[in-house]
Amino acid sequence: MISSVPATDKKSKLLVYSIEECPVCNQKTKRAFVVGDYITKEGSKCTKCGNQTRVSLVYAESSKPSG
Amino acid sequence: MSLFPSVALQSLGTDTGTLVYIIFFMGLFVFQFAFGTRIQVYFALNDIGRGLGKLKVMKEKSRKETIDYLVNVGKAPSDPTQRVDQFLDYVTIMPVNTDPQGIINKIDHIVTTNNDRVRAEVTALVAQNSPVTVSISENLLEVATALNMIHKIVRHYYILGKKTNSYFTLIQLQMLMPMIMQECDALLNAVDSFKVGQPVGDGIGCVAVSKFMVGKEKRAIAKDTVMAIAEYKGRKLYVVKADGPMAYVGQPGVAIKKVIEEMGVKPSAIIMIDAALKLEGEKTGEIAEGVGAAIGGIGVEKFQIEEVATKNKVPLYAILVKQSILEAITVMRKEIAEASEKVVQTLERVIEEKTKEGDDVIVVGIGNTLGIAQ
Repeated sequence: MISSVPATDKKSKLLVYSIEECPVCNQKTKRAFVVGDYITKEGSKCTKCGNQTRVSLVYAESSKPSG
Repeated sequence: MSLFPSVALQSLGTDTGTLVYIIFFMGLFVFQFAFGTRIQVYFALNDIGRGLGKLKVMKEKSRKETIDYLVNVGKAPSDPTQRVDQFLDYVTIMPVNTDPQGIINKIDHIVTTNNDRVRAEVTALVAQNSPVTVSISENLLEVATALNMIHKIVRHYYILGKKTNSYFTLIQLQMLMPMIMQECDALLNAVDSFKVGQPVGDGIGCVAVSKFMVGKEKRAIAKDTVMAIAEYKGRKLYVVKADGPMAYVGQPGVAIKKVIEEMGVKPSAIIMIDAALKLEGEKTGEIAEGVGAAIGGIGVEKFQIEEVATKNKVPLYAILVKQSILEAITVMRKEIAEASEKVVQTLERVIEEKTKEGDDVIVVGIGNTLGIAQ
């Protein structure tokens, strides 16, 4: 009989990133998430125009390319 | 002479073979008829037993993670184990529904009492009682309680089915097990996101509306809920979301009611943005538009929003971002996060199409706002 309880899926590891966006020149910088990050938190200075960036997104993506 | 006996034996052999064949299949048929269900019950019990073992590991893990969080991050002054264990068996008794009139207010009262009690207890339990830590502790306790309850219910039907040898109880449970395991897996995965304060997929509505709130003055409009006033192409937007980056869902129903009834705002539209469970085959991050109150939960908030919108004849529009249950309660996936840009574009288009310059519009981001400030 085929088991109806699924075997544990082989999960690809998720890496979490924070995206810092400059409100002036819209340059986006992707870096690894650090505990304490949250969306709208002030980030580092923009490398392009020197303005204060903000964390605009926090998301996870698979460490392996899908497919 | 020598040929005859062998022909006779061959003939006898063929007859015996046929007879054995018939007896074997008749025996098999009778065996199947008499013991078929017992065999299936045996396999079902094995199957459910294996799932139950996994559920036990899951609920123990979530309990341990909660205790660890309370001790390490919450800096609980004393061992919280006993209190957490009491918490796991804490029940909320829903009001009687045989006379349904006014039941929403009763549910609201009971749920609010429960939420207040949980928060008060968690606040007392931890020494580091920052709103973020307390809200994460509340969410972790909720996950641990849910896993504990699911384990108990599955175990109940497993033992009941075993005791009564009830084929139908066990087969039904066996059929449900894959879905139960999927849901529990999602809950357990949620623990990792909650612990470090990462936004979850459910918060996509909050991500979209937070873009309209950054840099604006915010005011508390309801419990755990904030509002900011923004402007878009001549329209005044009353933007509402739960107070982030805490793991709150807020009270959007109360907030909308206050904006309309207490602040005297006459909105031309209420636009709600929320995560929606996708159907199998649908893509994560797909956007759907519709009408109606886009909000899940027990139904209290939805009722309040529908009531105030109907009373004041305000059209309700919905923008939904598709995702699975796992994606909704675990760290926000790239496809969902990147949909926030499209959500904002859709929101702006809906505002332009459905309202005119000088109108007031209420925009509400629904969902758990963990890791999403404003």
